[in-house]
Amino acid sequence: MWGVITVRRQSARTRFCMLLSLLAAVGFLLWPSRQLRSDNFLIYQPSSRTAIPIQIVDQNKYLPILPVLNAVGKVGAIQEKRTSLKVWFDTTELELRLDEKRVRLGKGSLTLGLPVRKPSSQWLVPAEFLTAALPSLTGRVIEYKVGANRIFVGDVRPLTFSLRLDLAGNGVRLTIQFSEKVALRTASSNGKWYLYLGDRPVQPLETDFHFQNPYITEVQFDDEDGVAKLVVTPGGPGLNFYPVLAEGGKVLFADVLNPPAMQPPMPAAGIQTGGAAGSGPGVVVPTAPEEPIPGAPGPPLPVVVIDPAHGGNDTGARARDGVLEKDLTLQWAARARMALLATRKYRVQLTRTGDVALSFEQREILANAARPVAFLSLHAGNLGNTNPRVAVFIYRGTAGDSTEAPRSLIPWNLIYRTHLDQSHKLGQALQARFAQIPGIGADKPAEVPVRCLRSIDGPSVAIEIGSLNADQDSGALTSPAFQQQLATAIAAGLEAFQGGNP
Amino acid sequence: MTRRAKILLLILLATMAGGAIYLRFLARGIAPQPPAKHAEDVARTKLSEAALQPASPEQTATLYFPSLEQGTLVEEKRLISWAASDPDRIRQVILALVEGSHMGLGRSLPPAASIRAVFLTTDGTAYLDFSKQSVEELKPGIAAESLTVDSIVNSIAANVPAVKKVKILLEGQDVDTLQGHADLSNVLVPDLTRTTPNP
Repeated sequence: MWGVITVRRQSARTRFCMLLSLLAAVGFLLWPSRQLRSDNFLIYQPSSRTAIPIQIVDQNKYLPILPVLNAVGKVGAIQEKRTSLKVWFDTTELELRLDEKRVRLGKGSLTLGLPVRKPSSQWLVPAEFLTAALPSLTGRVIEYKVGANRIFVGDVRPLTFSLRLDLAGNGVRLTIQFSEKVALRTASSNGKWYLYLGDRPVQPLETDFHFQNPYITEVQFDDEDGVAKLVVTPGGPGLNFYPVLAEGGKVLFADVLNPPAMQPPMPAAGIQTGGAAGSGPGVVVPTAPEEPIPGAPGPPLPVVVIDPAHGGNDTGARARDGVLEKDLTLQWAARARMALLATRKYRVQLTRTGDVALSFEQREILANAARPVAFLSLHAGNLGNTNPRVAVFIYRGTAGDSTEAPRSLIPWNLIYRTHLDQSHKLGQALQARFAQIPGIGADKPAEVPVRCLRSIDGPSVAIEIGSLNADQDSGALTSPAFQQQLATAIAAGLEAFQGGNP
Repeated sequence: MTRRAKILLLILLATMAGGAIYLRFLARGIAPQPPAKHAEDVARTKLSEAALQPASPEQTATLYFPSLEQGTLVEEKRLISWAASDPDRIRQVILALVEGSHMGLGRSLPPAASIRAVFLTTDGTAYLDFSKQSVEELKPGIAAESLTVDSIVNSIAANVPAVKKVKILLEGQDVDTLQGHADLSNVLVPDLTRTTPNP
């Protein structure tokens, strides 16, 4: 009897020890992965990309200075003291002082918003150092979106994308519009679908998309390991995923459907590669290089040109929270494009799809070559204290062009006159649809001498959302829901305009 | 001390005294002097002052200030002692706009704005040459910028009947836009479609 009890006690103790060992082992295994999963900052250059671990100090994002400098150039020498660090970077001497915001840069200096830190052996600079100091240190163009974990140094042209989700019969259709052709690769792991976007650097307009439906709950952009990908989280087990590339690799249609009580709509598009049937999400890899879009807009369809204002060094207006007009207009343009494409009544052309500066003339050439049925110039600016608000503008001629233009030869700066009546109708149609958005102020179309509309050969309006100014946060203007409402209103307004029903 | 040494000592002392006087003279020459005002600035200040000198009894002037909330220009009446010449009157209008509304309306020009030169041609075109500071603090956007332009043009046309058109220059240069939006490539005419009387 006692013997049995002892054996049982030993057995319980042994089991307890084994459990502890197991937990320790699991912890030991997970610890490095936890470290690996810490956020990385990506530095993209034309021929390389470098991942640098982000360090959080006082809830602020910091980067180790030396790895950053080594990634973008050559560190010549270092002189480190207890409270200061001198770095010779190419021909420039850089001096950092511990817990000071001021950084000496060659003969000049700059003041950062946060002080230099050194919590361990590494000297850390706030992320803003990249945009404040790297352009003068490297002599190259730096493209950085505030808050993002990636920066583009030099002549890097990242692609971007916009995304929308529509209900479709037995599931949903995810439509992703890329600014340029992508080489897509798909995989499935841990109950999620991964869409690898190839080797091109990607500058997403948004990184997280959340949905409320039984099919897709989240789409997340991730490039922390240097590989750009979209991670799609399904709403439940057993769903099937059918991604198909279209428009030469610039558009991805991905249907997420319930298991086949009915036949999947695109079974011939590829080979199922991942996800056990019935237990996890399935992935269909597109094997055909290109699939025609069902009902795709072809050449006979009328063209709508969308012009996201500003870009590149011309940032436009800036909100108190750092949101720039050039980014906001690009985001909005991508949504408007998708809304218009979804009607399958137009071809849509953007004057810019990335962060580039274009002159008025370049925009006009792009637009006029397309012979658009409508030209929409998108802006964000100070519209007073009412937020959100939309104002629609039509070009107003100036005294210099009040004389009658010759009928046979119309100068470009007078071409707007031939479309003035149509521009008014387009403005009225759009304003009427904006006014239907709940909680938004929509001004009646106003004639103003706005330069971007002067030489457009087609009905043209400028649409300004507000208020975006240094005294206020961007608020609703950056909300995907608000932007989608605007995009839908634009599509509805154009349909009414085309139907002669402003 | 020998006589020769005394003479040498005297010469040395005299040389040192002379050197000291010369050094003082040099120091006075290189001492920082208050910089002379540029003649152009002086002339501009005088012109501005002249424009503000009351040359006649005060008369009611009509100014237009922007209201971004309404998307319009709001009329404001003010008493101004007009200068004798039209270019000086134009300066007075611009100075009144820079001063800002007395009734709490929006600004059309920032406090740092200044006008470098004004010309009025015989066909009624007023050429206004603004400094670059005049546009640096403008509120951003199409609405704000177009209201600024209309505020300038309408206010001048309302108070200086000889002005039919306005051409805006920046730092003496013809420019495409004011701050990226309002078209300045051509002359502007008054447009009262977006004006409202002050309630």
